[in-house]
Amino acid sequence: MKKLAILLFAALLVGNAWAQVDRSELPASGPAPEINIGDAEMFTLENGLKVILVTNDKLPRVAFSLVLDRDPLMEGDKAGLTGFVGQMMTSGTEGRTKDQIDEEIDFIGASLSASSTSIFGSSLKKHQGKLLELMTDVLYNPSFPEEELEKLRKQTLTGLATTKDDPNAISSRLASAMVYGKDHPYGEVETEETIKNISVEDVKSYYETFFKPNIAYLTIVGDMELNEAKKITEEYFADWQAGDVPTFTYEKPSRTNETVVGLVDRSSSVQTVINVTQPVELKVGDEDYISSRLLNQILGGGSSARLFMNLREDKGYTYGAYSSISPDRLIGRFNASGSVRTEVTDSAVVEFLYEINKIVEEGVTAEELEKAKANLSGSFGRSLESPSTIASFALNIERYGLPKDYYKNYLQELNSYTVSDINQTAKELIDPSKLYITAVGNGSEIQEKLAQFGEVMLYDNMGFPAKELTADADMTAEKVISNYLEAIGGKDKAQTIETAKFTMNAEVMGTVLTMAMTYDANGRYAQKTSVGGNVMQSSVILKDSGKISVQGQSMELTGAQLEEAKINSYLIPEAWISDLGYSLSLDGLKDVDGTPAYKVVISAPSGAKLINYYDQSTGLKIKNENPASGDTFYSDYQEKNGVLIPMTWTIKSPMIPVPLEAKVAEVTINEELTESDFQ
Amino acid sequence: MKKLTVFGLLMAWMIIPAMAQKKIEFREFTLDNGLHVILHQDNSTPIVNTSVLYHVGSKNENPERTGFAHFFEHLMFEGSENIERGQYMNIIQGRGGTLNAFTSNDITFYYQTVPSNELELTLYMESERMLHSKVDETGVETQREVVKEEKRQSYDNRPYGSILIETLKRAYSEHPYQWAPIGSLDHLNAATIEEFQDFYKQFYVPNNATLVVAGDIDYAQAESWVREYFSEIPRGSGEIYRPNVTEPKKTEEIRDVIYDNIQIPAVIQAYNLPPRNHPDSYALSMLSTYLTGGNSSLMTKELVDKQQKALAVAAIPLELEDGGIFIMYGITNMGVAPEDLESEIDKLIAQVQSEGISDRDFEKLQNIIENNIVSGNSSVSGVAQNLAEAHVIFGDTNYINQVMDYYSKVTQEDIKRVANEYLNLDGRVVLYYLPKPQETTE
Repeated sequence: MKKLAILLFAALLVGNAWAQVDRSELPASGPAPEINIGDAEMFTLENGLKVILVTNDKLPRVAFSLVLDRDPLMEGDKAGLTGFVGQMMTSGTEGRTKDQIDEEIDFIGASLSASSTSIFGSSLKKHQGKLLELMTDVLYNPSFPEEELEKLRKQTLTGLATTKDDPNAISSRLASAMVYGKDHPYGEVETEETIKNISVEDVKSYYETFFKPNIAYLTIVGDMELNEAKKITEEYFADWQAGDVPTFTYEKPSRTNETVVGLVDRSSSVQTVINVTQPVELKVGDEDYISSRLLNQILGGGSSARLFMNLREDKGYTYGAYSSISPDRLIGRFNASGSVRTEVTDSAVVEFLYEINKIVEEGVTAEELEKAKANLSGSFGRSLESPSTIASFALNIERYGLPKDYYKNYLQELNSYTVSDINQTAKELIDPSKLYITAVGNGSEIQEKLAQFGEVMLYDNMGFPAKELTADADMTAEKVISNYLEAIGGKDKAQTIETAKFTMNAEVMGTVLTMAMTYDANGRYAQKTSVGGNVMQSSVILKDSGKISVQGQSMELTGAQLEEAKINSYLIPEAWISDLGYSLSLDGLKDVDGTPAYKVVISAPSGAKLINYYDQSTGLKIKNENPASGDTFYSDYQEKNGVLIPMTWTIKSPMIPVPLEAKVAEVTINEELTESDFQ
Repeated sequence: MKKLTVFGLLMAWMIIPAMAQKKIEFREFTLDNGLHVILHQDNSTPIVNTSVLYHVGSKNENPERTGFAHFFEHLMFEGSENIERGQYMNIIQGRGGTLNAFTSNDITFYYQTVPSNELELTLYMESERMLHSKVDETGVETQREVVKEEKRQSYDNRPYGSILIETLKRAYSEHPYQWAPIGSLDHLNAATIEEFQDFYKQFYVPNNATLVVAGDIDYAQAESWVREYFSEIPRGSGEIYRPNVTEPKKTEEIRDVIYDNIQIPAVIQAYNLPPRNHPDSYALSMLSTYLTGGNSSLMTKELVDKQQKALAVAAIPLELEDGGIFIMYGITNMGVAPEDLESEIDKLIAQVQSEGISDRDFEKLQNIIENNIVSGNSSVSGVAQNLAEAHVIFGDTNYINQVMDYYSKVTQEDIKRVANEYLNLDGRVVLYYLPKPQETTE
């Protein structure tokens, strides 16, 4: 009836094209559209495989997604294992090499991928037979080639090395360690050691234990009717053997008794990564679930939310500040985060806490709630355009035991919440007096300032409690330097090294990089980096001048750049401190990848600085820190001409994708140098 | 609004319109003021996309005032006589919608996706923009700052960000494609408010626009609202400037080195292409897929996997109305000299030119293209853009349903032929991107 009225009205308008509209007011919203969420069909094979089908013949495509529903795992001394499984499965089968799988998938314009709990494949409808053949080959007959495991291990170790210095990765490990503890699947971390422990047998045994139809869901989305789905699942999946799959339970992480602060000291940081977080009891489908999404939308769900408006728009502390409330079957989590300038770290924490307190104590406004509803309804509606959304709804209904009409009523439910509902949810879910505040940044600048928020506990970059660092009571910078010189053979010996030539090799993704360095204690230095005989980059520092060249383009160094280069151009500057007029200062005992070390700043009269770390127990120099060009780690000290010299230099820099491990291939000491060495 | 980026732009042109099996139904009509309207009903999801394509891009600019078209993409969010400054986006987002825009060398495209009960709002918003947008000093000042920041972020500070600018500059000597949509900040600074107002009056007129409404609509209701909001907008009175320039064929290679804020060198090659609606476009697009599309494509397999000389390679036909460019780039692997990578790239091109492609590879290409075409129409916003471009660039909205037919006419021999005809080593542009010496970047 109503529809007819609209049509009549429309017809009138069409005939009267020049009717003036009132442009002074925004058109009102029409009646909310009925959201028809397509039905999913469901059936179970005899082996227990549950099949969910969402028919959508808008396009002649079909996607198969196989998901294992197992409990989260503690991986212990093999942490990282599950990260290997998926790629290992697509790396070869009894009948196909990896290249063959790639080629056959590309040939039909399809895609295929796997993880430790899933296999996903999609293609045009007409290629579905071939796709299923490849997908089930990967599922039933993976061959787990040893060489692929080694390749993955290498990639994973390289990746791990990179994340050790990545403030965001450190922050995420720290926050997980505090919220869940290291004895919880969500808190444990993979380390070099655990990665090295993983064998092909472990991957195989994981596969044999968990890839079972009785814990699996196969969702099919696309151009397929129920009859055909039954036929093809019978054909491709009925022979898959069921088996017992172990289950696991874990103690629920509890909240801290009072707000505490976790700090990872990353002294080269100019920004602090802040997380304010706590565990939350919240599962998908819980009474508070939908209201928690509205609450979060208002607090920190985007660029018009409170955190963003306060910390970025109003204060300018950060590029962005956001929050999340994530539901989970074991334990959910509330999190608010942002990266801020070092100087405003404490002020930023104050604002985070202010906003969290305020939303719990004072609640939200009607206007904010209306906007949040419009925003979430809109994105819910748009998400329905993708048929895989419908499939994920069906999967959630099964996995989380939700009412069958849960998503059909979702928008109605979402729009029924009142201001007082949201305020109640805020009080129920968030307790502002029991938060973990984590900070990854320059400890000496921020540690004291953080103490106002709660006890400050120190952690290392893997999220383990930092070793208790106790500096020797009467240590001074001068003593650190003299201990170092003593440890390498004595100052006199060190001073006997007038010139030195080093050749070092480093391998990067299969290519060998050669670095040649020439040191002269009389203030000359030359350096060349080359590949296969081609010089990529070089620099020369003389007493009063310096030059740097990259791929044939060179430039003179002047002023502060030259001074900076000069102070970096000595092999053992510590032996010449007084001769060069350098001054020293001690900046405490620090954790260098697990080793306690004294941080000493060596300054030239020009203002240029060297920042070095010396091992507390051996006295040896183990790290040079350079905020501009990256950090160098020294190890494998060997005696040359009576002086201990590091034979492995590991260079980490934001400008190179992976840490560069350079090994000294050749050293010549006190050879006569000529002009040609510095050209 | 969407920030115009090189890769964003290249991607936008890579989406191939239309599809194979399922026909896209639509209705179209033209208002008295010249506005062309296309309606497409798809009731499967209660959302609707409203898009407006203005047939103005950087090629329509005065060479002394480059960057105008893109600048308008920003200015057009400032508000109108009835929409307060800065509220345009808030209004749409506050009703649960999203909105965005982009500018190319040929067109400026605005789009909004909203819950279907907000269709009238989007038509109101777009008609306000077309009828009486704010083009005043305050808006121009504000957006100048924003565009300056955008240029800094997306071009100056982004590794390889200037590829498109540097390549276009050399690939065209006559045609206005020689400048990129971002244009010149100096030109924008020098322009008077009258010039901005004249640009609006010339190009932001119904007879230079195509409106598409796609999604959960009732055809009659949608048409009546369109007429209600757009009919009163007067037709543009002046002539719309469209350059009539033929780019002369290049006979000599242009070779240059660009020092940029990058860590890893890159090799860029660019070859001039025929106009976008030329029949050879389809073979050239298949050729680019053959060279770099997918893990098992010729260059990816040979240069990235086997020889490991490149970290990544890509061949992208930047298809433009008056003839675009075929851009190929390779990023060198650690320690590989760009000369070395370039000679390997050239060898592979020569191989296609002399040997063509195998039967199996040809079949693979057809499969991949078909998959891409089918997937290109999976969202209403994708369909809306494809419909608008079919009408404006190909002169027939139903082109959206014929793309696959054009591709199926391409033969194995055509791919070899276009490789020889267009990948012409004597008329190409070659750029090496090399890192600036480190110290200067501090």
